[in-house]
Amino acid sequence: MLNILVLGIGQCGNRILDSINSEAFGGNGTFAKYYSNQKFPASVKTIAINTAINDLKGLKYTLAKDRFHVPHLHGVGANRTLGKKVFEDNKELIMGEIDKRGSFDLIFIITSTAGGSGSSFAPRLVEELKAAYNAQIVCIAVLPFREEGSISLQNTAFCIKELIEEKPNGILLVDNQYLKKYAGDIKSAYDKINATTARRLLFLIEALNSEMLMVTDLGDLKTVMNGGVGIGTMGFYESDNGNTVKATILGSFKPSGLLFPANVYTEGARAMLIIKGSKKYLDLDLINKTIEELSTEVGQVFKGVLVKKGPAKVLSLFTLNSIPELDRLYASAAVAIRTEKVKREESKKQLDNAFACIEELEPIY
Amino acid sequence: MNGVRILVIATFFVFVLMTPVVVASGNDSYYIFDNELQVNEGITIETSIHIEVVEVKRIPLERAKFRITSYQRPERMITVFKEDGPQANRYETYSGASIYLDVIGVYSDSVQFRVSGPSNWRVTDYYDVDPEEGGGEVDEAVTVPKLKITRTLDISSVQQGQTAKVTFKIKNDGNGTASEIELDEPTIKGAYREGCPTTLDDIAAGATERVSYDLKIVDVEPGTYELNPTLLNYKSESGTSYSSESSSNVLVIVAEEVLAPELEIKLTIESDDDVIICGERFSVTVRIDNTGNATTGRITVKSHLPDDVRVAGGEIDPVYESIKPGDYEEYEVTMIAYEPGKHVIKMDVLWADEEASASAEFWAERSGFDKYYIYILAAIPIVLILLWLIKRRREYSF
Repeated sequence: MLNILVLGIGQCGNRILDSINSEAFGGNGTFAKYYSNQKFPASVKTIAINTAINDLKGLKYTLAKDRFHVPHLHGVGANRTLGKKVFEDNKELIMGEIDKRGSFDLIFIITSTAGGSGSSFAPRLVEELKAAYNAQIVCIAVLPFREEGSISLQNTAFCIKELIEEKPNGILLVDNQYLKKYAGDIKSAYDKINATTARRLLFLIEALNSEMLMVTDLGDLKTVMNGGVGIGTMGFYESDNGNTVKATILGSFKPSGLLFPANVYTEGARAMLIIKGSKKYLDLDLINKTIEELSTEVGQVFKGVLVKKGPAKVLSLFTLNSIPELDRLYASAAVAIRTEKVKREESKKQLDNAFACIEELEPIY
Repeated sequence: MNGVRILVIATFFVFVLMTPVVVASGNDSYYIFDNELQVNEGITIETSIHIEVVEVKRIPLERAKFRITSYQRPERMITVFKEDGPQANRYETYSGASIYLDVIGVYSDSVQFRVSGPSNWRVTDYYDVDPEEGGGEVDEAVTVPKLKITRTLDISSVQQGQTAKVTFKIKNDGNGTASEIELDEPTIKGAYREGCPTTLDDIAAGATERVSYDLKIVDVEPGTYELNPTLLNYKSESGTSYSSESSSNVLVIVAEEVLAPELEIKLTIESDDDVIICGERFSVTVRIDNTGNATTGRITVKSHLPDDVRVAGGEIDPVYESIKPGDYEEYEVTMIAYEPGKHVIKMDVLWADEEASASAEFWAERSGFDKYYIYILAAIPIVLILLWLIKRRREYSF
């Protein structure tokens, strides 16, 4: 059985982690935690880490003992510089709390790239975890709505850069801006994004920990995540029983099923397909044939087939060779930074001019 | 000499008769007689009361001695002093009426005295007393019997149906033989005399006779009865009639005692406030008393218990061979009541063809635990669920 650690850092990471814990109750509603127990598909330990205690209090399905407050008043206010300092100051505490959970084969770090705590802690955590554990580390980085502001954009830009520099086994992107169009209001969008991310992660964990008809494992995951620039995303499709397994597999490649906007066929480097469903829906020959067809376009495609009651479901995990959306995001971030810089200089100049009015004057009482 | 005296007295008597008697005193007495009589002269009042002057003396005190006899009364000698006053010397007749003697003056051989009494009484005769017949202190020896009767009962209290022995002790204190002795013994209604004589043989002077009879109490209600005095009528040798009487006696008659055993049974439940807790043991003490006056034969005890009351220990229906009068048997039984409510334990004691019953009642209540057993049972899962919820809530509260 795989030992898996899921860390939710910052407000966004905490909420996705809470959704994972909620899904572990089988999605039985708000009161499931009072009469049911979490059933993870593997030995999963979860820790929600945050400097903002109110964010931790707002969690519903995460055990109190699995919520770790890094003592720094109420958050770092989206200031990554401050966040890094706080992490350094509390590194021992954070690593000690993780160490209590034992050893791990796979560690997921879920964080928003735009916030303070998560975006500043995540790269440093990757560094520390790599040093402390012989485990694969996959970061799930959530990109912000573009209209959230310049700080969010610059945090995202520097966070992703630092994450890549720390070389985790992979970074899976979840783009709020992209997923927003599939939800209604902001609140619904957040809830849906969190739940979708949580379900796909649990699907992946279940697949990695199960005996499959066609096997894919942690090694395959490592290989897939090493593909391209080490950044990828996840797609998902569930058959309505009328579809062939091929249609289901191809459905998971559709933009509507992805967590980040990408053209898998042109930008994909490596892929892993996990196909789950009743045996009657799983035509292995067709699966093999479809995989072969995809391999000519996407490159190496690993597959795993998990026989389980229900309609056919496919989780696709990609790494990308190129990420145009990321280019656009960095361009926006650069503009935002420059604009912020110019505005700040103008403000300073204006303030200096104002102060100049009273230069050489003394207050008279 | 006597003829002259008689003539004088007769003349005087006629004069007196013609003179209305006046009430002399302030009280309501009427002077039946107020005159002078010589020694050995007498008057008869209402033909039955005889007053005779026996003796007069002036030294040291003026006094006169009278002999008074009347119907159904023994002879009585009364000495009346001049200073005694009108009411000092009373003589009660058989009918209950009284007369009073008052000496006015004493002379050498006569006395002036008054007799007061009922206003309708009159002096009916004057007579001379023959010293030989009049008794008294005559020089010639006169034999006069004087019977003294004493009546005794062997028991003062007698049951119905039993017999009391009545004994007369008759002593002749006189100097003459009493003859023609008639014994007039009263009785109690419903009682019968067995062997009671009505006449007795002559009793010589100084002799004592004892006569007994049985008084059988047959049909007399229980109570205290007074046995009236016994009257003795007798005559002297000279034929003079006398009478004497005994004192009265008191006889208590009690109800006839019937010898029979009588049993009483009593139940005592040992509990606080007569409340028993369901399912808990409690003791019941059964006591059988023989309040009768005879020993019983074989005794059987029979219990009647409510359906939900069971015997937990002890023999509840024992058998006893006998119980003596005043004695008792007592035993203890341990019981358990299973249902709440009022319970009545009834027990009969049977002997010969008789039986006695007793009952005791008590309340049985469920114990505090039993009373709330259902609620506690219902509450346990609720509490467990609450505890679980609290635990889970704490686990998820940060």
